[in-house]
Amino acid sequence: MSKDAGPRMAVNLGGITMRNPVNTASGTFGNGEQFEGFYDVGSTLGAITCKGVSAIPWEGNPAPRLAELGGAAILNSVGLQNPGVAGFVGRYGEYLQGLRRKGCAVICQVAGHSLEEYARAMELFEELAPFASGFEINISCPNIAAGGAAMGATPAAAAEVMRTVRPLTTRPIVVKMAPHDVAEIGRALEAEGADALSLINTIPGMSIDVRTRRSRVCRPTAGVSGPAIHAIAVRMVWECARAVKVPICGIGGITCGEDAAEMILAGATAISVGTANLVDPACAARVVEELEQWACDQGVTDINELIGAFEC
Amino acid sequence: MTIQPDSLAGTASATGVHGFEVFSNEAVADGVWRMRCHTPVASLIAPGQFVNVAVPGDSAHILRIPLSFSVAQATSQTLELVYAVVGEGTRRLSCMRVGDTSTMVGPCGNGWALPTHEGRALLVAGGVGLPPIVACARMLAEASVGFDVIVGAQTSAKHVEYLLDELRRLAPDEGCDCARKVLVCTDDGTLGTRGFTTDVMADLIADRPYAQAYTCGPTPMMAGVARLCAKRDIACQASLERMMGCGFGACSCCNVALVAGGYALCCKDGPVFDAREVVW
Repeated sequence: MSKDAGPRMAVNLGGITMRNPVNTASGTFGNGEQFEGFYDVGSTLGAITCKGVSAIPWEGNPAPRLAELGGAAILNSVGLQNPGVAGFVGRYGEYLQGLRRKGCAVICQVAGHSLEEYARAMELFEELAPFASGFEINISCPNIAAGGAAMGATPAAAAEVMRTVRPLTTRPIVVKMAPHDVAEIGRALEAEGADALSLINTIPGMSIDVRTRRSRVCRPTAGVSGPAIHAIAVRMVWECARAVKVPICGIGGITCGEDAAEMILAGATAISVGTANLVDPACAARVVEELEQWACDQGVTDINELIGAFEC
Repeated sequence: MTIQPDSLAGTASATGVHGFEVFSNEAVADGVWRMRCHTPVASLIAPGQFVNVAVPGDSAHILRIPLSFSVAQATSQTLELVYAVVGEGTRRLSCMRVGDTSTMVGPCGNGWALPTHEGRALLVAGGVGLPPIVACARMLAEASVGFDVIVGAQTSAKHVEYLLDELRRLAPDEGCDCARKVLVCTDDGTLGTRGFTTDVMADLIADRPYAQAYTCGPTPMMAGVARLCAKRDIACQASLERMMGCGFGACSCCNVALVAGGYALCCKDGPVFDAREVVW
């Protein structure tokens, strides 16, 4: 390391090499391309996590899909609208390959309604997506009628998804977890060969328009995200990190370097910026800079020294 | 006509985050405000596109506010936004004072397209759908496309009258055979004729041939305009409104159901759509 160099920021998320710990939460970053007008994604971020993709195209939920909750949180029910693996690769494959060339890891998210659908999507990704650095299995989407969160509701159910997809790829598998029982479910996933865990997904919530007595989004329950859930997410990352040995990507209400640093101290190896991408499109790039400044201020030569360095 | 993004005037500039500084922000009617600000977006934005505005000072409401514009002057870098105060976000926007600064994401989306066929255009605006129709009228006037305008509102309001003056200024050739008409109707008859824009439109299109219609306003009104246009085989562009997350196609929250099946995104594929492609 030259004398002018800052701290080493590279991390390894279960075999996914990242130039810095900053990733993006699936569903809040399009597939990266939409952010090129704001900054050079490939030269800046450690990784991006693409929007969830299923074996065949899904329409997603009807409108309205979004409500502002007023307590630094939003409620969404998009329902994993996606063009299917083949459509996704055709539309974004070249762009994502370009991100890899620039040194940004590309994590493709796998969605399904059933074990068979997860397996089919995984097989298609394995065949069609050589640009994927690794995969994130979404067993925690609160906004689809079948599969989604139900697939990750118990340690046994989560383990079964992992057993289904693990033999289908040698590339790293991250599992996106729901915001409950994270220690127990995390251990079950680790035992079945998950390379890393990412948490938390949105917290199930409701918002009722009291005049019309209807939900403010298209389904009775939907996912809450935003700064309001940050403290809950940090706690869950801490609980999970103490229970497993595999690395964790911390997600939930991150808007700045300090929020990201909290996640790292709680035990996260990497972090994802989510809802803040929508409000401040350059947020993830700013978090990269602020996180490096924090590591510098902490006087470490390597950010890895700060993972789980929370003193209780 | 199928609107292809490449054919639209509003796709020239990439969306970015830009600063703005307020130089006037005042109520022009009950619950309707007009903000004028200096911003580089003014020289990038095309009629029918929108900006996604961050209102400072309240960390509880995190989403930006998507707003269409009525006037953009490139030389003076000024943008004029006329907005209804309908919720907490727009209430806070109305509290911004002269000299206050913030950011806006823009230009966003695809705007109005010039007619692809020779012939007259008909503009139909309802309520707070009026500002983007004013921007459309200016686009047509600059392209020397003949047009008439129907403006509907619940009741007489200063913001309608103010923007009507602007429309009449853009339609100066009254008196000749091809006179541009600016027709006004209100639900209660306090301004113009009493009735709905679609009633006025039905009479007008029986009288004059139109090649292209442009509409912005409440969804039931635009649905009525789309139906009348379909019957007469008049091409129709409609500017839709949705609750939006990002404003640039990243979150898929502002979906619009399509006749062909599936969804488009209002922020990226719209807000201006071919009315025949949308499920009303």
